Amino acid sequence: MAIQYEDVNDDIRRIYLRGRLDTAGSEQIATEFAALAESAKRGVVVNLSDVTFLSSMGIRALIASAKAQQAKGGRMVLHVGGNDVVARTLEATGIDELIPTFDDEADAERALLD
Amino acid sequence: MSSSATQPPAELMIRGDTWDARRASTWLASVALAQSVPAAHIVRLDHCLDEALANVIAHGGPTALASPVRLQFSVRRSQDICTAELSVADAGVPFDASAGPPGSTPRPASLAEAKPEGLGLLMIRKFSDELSYRRSEGHNHLTITVSWTEAA
Repeated sequence: MAIQYEDVNDDIRRIYLRGRLDTAGSEQIATEFAALAESAKRGVVVNLSDVTFLSSMGIRALIASAKAQQAKGGRMVLHVGGNDVVARTLEATGIDELIPTFDDEADAERALLD
Repeated sequence: MSSSATQPPAELMIRGDTWDARRASTWLASVALAQSVPAAHIVRLDHCLDEALANVIAHGGPTALASPVRLQFSVRRSQDICTAELSVADAGVPFDASAGPPGSTPRPASLAEAKPEGLGLLMIRKFSDELSYRRSEGHNHLTITVSWTEAA
């Protein structure tokens, strides 16, 4: 499991997750992911296009960070980039209705600025 | 109607920890692929396995963590209907993951209401076609069934 980030500008941070976000993988990145999301100023795009598996533990990490963003007046959105495995999991659990989810990165970033 | 298991059940014993759960996933993919289970259904089984093992590890108690978890996998074909069965047997506290109909875990209406409890069970119910549970000789036996139609 790999995690990287990039600050697009003062407002938007992209966090890239890659690999298997199963129970073990989620535990591996949970602390760093939470810290990166928490320290973003206004909005976070979590890029899940290279995630090969998304477990409930991974979803918990997404929910916790999305809530933390919301609590400080920011937003978090998900960019799945046509990743059907991840999109199906988000849909099956209803998370795509709680955290805005986009196929296109530009749409995801625009949603943060609305 | 003829019904047959193309191979005897494959079996794996693992420890109750998250890294062995990953080893179990690799094993599942290997044995399912060897029995020509389509990739989309391997993913469904993989979700169920990861969540079932996560549940054993988090809630099974000390006995579950100290005892091996036994996995069995088989595929049965009856004409064009295929059924994969994955069984998870653990020595943890009694717990019936099959209780309640699929989708019975209510979905939160908003992010603020979203709680992590029950998400794993929701996923097991969503990704499986059938679940069965029995408790015998101090073990939970959860059987996860996924079915599909084989293209002619």
